[in-house]
Amino acid sequence: MHILESRLAAAVAVFAVALGLTACGGGTVGGGGNGGEVTTAKAGPVSGKLTISNWPGYIDPGKEGTVAEFEAKTGVSVDYIEDINENEAFFGKMQPLLEQGESGGRSIFVVADYMAKQMHDLGYLQNIDHADLPTAFENLQPSLRSPAFDPKREFSLPWQSGMTGIWVDTSKAPEIHSINDLFDPKYKGKVTMLGELRESVPLTMLAEGIDPGKASNQDWLHAIDRIKAAADSGQIRHFTGNDYTEDLNAGNIVAAIGWSGDASLIENPNAEWRMPTEGCTLWSEDMVIPVGAPNTAAALDWMNFVYQPKVAADITEYVLYISPVDGVKELLETRNPELAKDQLVFPSEQFTRKCSSQDSPPDLEPVNEAWQAVITG
Amino acid sequence: MSLRQRLVPYWLLGPGLLWLVLFFVVPMYFMGELALRSGTLTTGFTFDWAWANFPDSLSGHTVQIVRSFFYAGTATLLALLIGYPLAYAIAFRAGRFKLLLLFAVIAPFFTTYLIRTIAWKTILSDSSPVVSVLQTLSLVPPDGRVLATSGAVIAGLTYNFLPFMVLPLYANLERLDLSLIEAAKDLYSSSRQAFLKVTLPLTMPGIVAGVLLTFIPAFGDYINAQILGGTQQAMVGNVIQSLYLTQRDYPEAAALSFLMMALILAIVVLYIRFAGTGAFMGDDEEEVA
Amino acid sequence: MASLSGGWAWLRRNALPIYACLAVAYMLIPIVVIAVFSFGATPRGKLTFGLEHGFTTEYWSSAFSLPELNEALLTSLRLAALATAISTAIGTLMAIALVRHRFHGRRAANLLIVIPMATPEVVIGASLLSMFIYYSFALGFTSLLIAHVMFSISFVVVVVRSRLIGFDRHLEEAAADLGATPLATFRTVTLPLLAPGIVAAALLAFSLSIDDFVISNFNSGTTVTFPLYVFGVALRGVPVQVNVLATMLFAVIAIAVSLVLWQQRRAEKLASVRPEQEATPIPIGAAEAT
Repeated sequence: MHILESRLAAAVAVFAVALGLTACGGGTVGGGGNGGEVTTAKAGPVSGKLTISNWPGYIDPGKEGTVAEFEAKTGVSVDYIEDINENEAFFGKMQPLLEQGESGGRSIFVVADYMAKQMHDLGYLQNIDHADLPTAFENLQPSLRSPAFDPKREFSLPWQSGMTGIWVDTSKAPEIHSINDLFDPKYKGKVTMLGELRESVPLTMLAEGIDPGKASNQDWLHAIDRIKAAADSGQIRHFTGNDYTEDLNAGNIVAAIGWSGDASLIENPNAEWRMPTEGCTLWSEDMVIPVGAPNTAAALDWMNFVYQPKVAADITEYVLYISPVDGVKELLETRNPELAKDQLVFPSEQFTRKCSSQDSPPDLEPVNEAWQAVITG
Repeated sequence: MSLRQRLVPYWLLGPGLLWLVLFFVVPMYFMGELALRSGTLTTGFTFDWAWANFPDSLSGHTVQIVRSFFYAGTATLLALLIGYPLAYAIAFRAGRFKLLLLFAVIAPFFTTYLIRTIAWKTILSDSSPVVSVLQTLSLVPPDGRVLATSGAVIAGLTYNFLPFMVLPLYANLERLDLSLIEAAKDLYSSSRQAFLKVTLPLTMPGIVAGVLLTFIPAFGDYINAQILGGTQQAMVGNVIQSLYLTQRDYPEAAALSFLMMALILAIVVLYIRFAGTGAFMGDDEEEVA
Repeated sequence: MASLSGGWAWLRRNALPIYACLAVAYMLIPIVVIAVFSFGATPRGKLTFGLEHGFTTEYWSSAFSLPELNEALLTSLRLAALATAISTAIGTLMAIALVRHRFHGRRAANLLIVIPMATPEVVIGASLLSMFIYYSFALGFTSLLIAHVMFSISFVVVVVRSRLIGFDRHLEEAAADLGATPLATFRTVTLPLLAPGIVAAALLAFSLSIDDFVISNFNSGTTVTFPLYVFGVALRGVPVQVNVLATMLFAVIAIAVSLVLWQQRRAEKLASVRPEQEATPIPIGAAEAT
């Protein structure tokens, strides 16, 4: 049995090698980042290179854009990367690096409130000192100064706010005004929902009259079941990130749960964002400085820079989201009165009275597991 | 043979084998090891012989596993039906166009896999002329669609893996001794009989190689399902990708892919026992100095 | 009726070649679509598969105007070049050992080479990731390089091997008869004759590396390769420049492959007509170096 022996010997050899390799490294996998100490981002003379990770379509581009303006003013060379399409996916990509105290060369991320909190709790973020950001904290909207997840704004600074509602192709389905309409069999296979747990599920709960901020785990799971049934029956075509805009453009769908400011990404002239009758989710995305971020001085300067009302107005004019900076509306009243009156960009209290924020369920894990099962199909 | 001469093959093989062992075999071990851990990202994954992960991952994703079998199987069958006549034509009827046709068969490889799948997504989008034609031909219901259906995913898989079917088939067919078919005809068999009784059995190794080289990658594919499919078309690959990269449930992800690997290994080893490694590569002999 | 039955007969006789043409056309559809739509004008500069806006060559002239795209493409090219060099070298050596030598463990080596080709990419990518996670190894260009070399080796071996098998040993024997050492024979006879096979293998490895998405997705960390970039932008509108570059890439690889095939055909033709002329002349010194 010559062959069998040699095969066995080979297998044992490989196994021995593997065991040996195990012995000389690794051990625990995962389990939190910094070792407990939270550093504060250091300010200083501003120069060098700055890398920012952000969502697509979230800044005014080009030679007249904010990045170019910042570069001209400070001499910093900015590498602006639009590689965030979903909070979870981005976190998944960065996590192994952040675990090691690395940020992949990036000095600023822009992530949702809940993700900023999650990163902070894992020790992946640096704190920001208000003294380093005078303009920012002077102009920050009062309503955003003390959010529940970061009451003293120690580690996050809002980039833009927005609303999640329904984009409707008015030429094909003009009567869609509510999340419940998305479950109408008439539109089977022609609607999409966002894959974010904290968007689609709170909206569905709102549609059933439940306040997401006070919902129990049962409520969350019940809403997920409803969505699951719709996915299984083919009612929902897709769970999307940014890509619902492509489906709208291609005419594949008549309605999508989507973000209020995405008009610049949508080519379909008949598409219109609507506030669902039962309310929307109102969210913010924040700039955060990760551990291991190079050139924190430039990062802090950038954060301060974009809080000047003039700069913030430029950004708002392009991205069409809700600016966290006070004074932008007044500036635009002379420059672009149409925009200053736009409810999507400067929503009144009245307009957003029924909106909730992006809440998390009381017990995340079972809800997350159930949700993942639904969106993976 | 001197000792030095005896060692030559080992020197030649060394770097390659080492690379393969270090970066193919050993990672499999680590995947198995990761599968035996439990925990979450925040609490850390501790090794505690969590054998339960294996049956759990199977039972939790039976739907996707069965679906992957179905999609990959159908795509392989279609590829065989489409590819065999094509390979036959290239081998025997192409004449001076042989090289050109072969070139055309592998041409899709020169564009990125993603881009050509995205191209299909737009070719098959709801408002495209192609879909309208299919609707007129009643192949698609008038208010139906092609994208985000199983059909679209299977079509994508078939397209993307067709070269994997055609090339082994062609390599095998090319060696076919036509005089055998002539002999059969001399013995009064019809073309059809000649094909069934002579050609088909002789080309069986090529067919089996093509089937394996198509089915296995198709089974583990997730791009087609992600781009061309909807909520009901997720395959095992999609699940593994989601578990690893989005949910970061490494133990379950590792368990699932380890099981998949074991299944494929079993199929391949069985086949090689049966046909020898030479047959896998499309030729029937292994030359030795 | 003669012409009709004649027509039918023609159809039946040529059914197979006609079918082959149709099948090949089917294979080429996406490529044509990609190329054609790289000339389509669009309002946002993002790909739409409709030609309502007319044709333009502006995306071809601005093909390199997107810094992220350029960087991704450069990364892919660098990665592919390195991975090709390493895997071709390693794989060629392995092929020679497998074909020309008899030794213990030959079957096992064969098995080890063949299995990665059959393994789904998702499993290869995931298992590598598992190992990298275990060692807290930083994911990036290096991890990508390791992975790309790994999956290319098998394919290189198969291609070079098949070239070696069809090799005419007489030329080498002739060289030995004329007094060349094994090393000199290898250098002056074997290697040049093997060259087309090695080049073909290198091309295959290069295409595999440039094209790879799945394994790269698992092991790239924050490095962006061309396929990864395409995947990212596919969600919010593929810039037309991607199609332009894809078409360019296609053209380059197509030309390279046709050159190799043409070269191979030429060599085979020459070999069959004038065998003695194909053997590279053996350096005079070798004859005396016994």
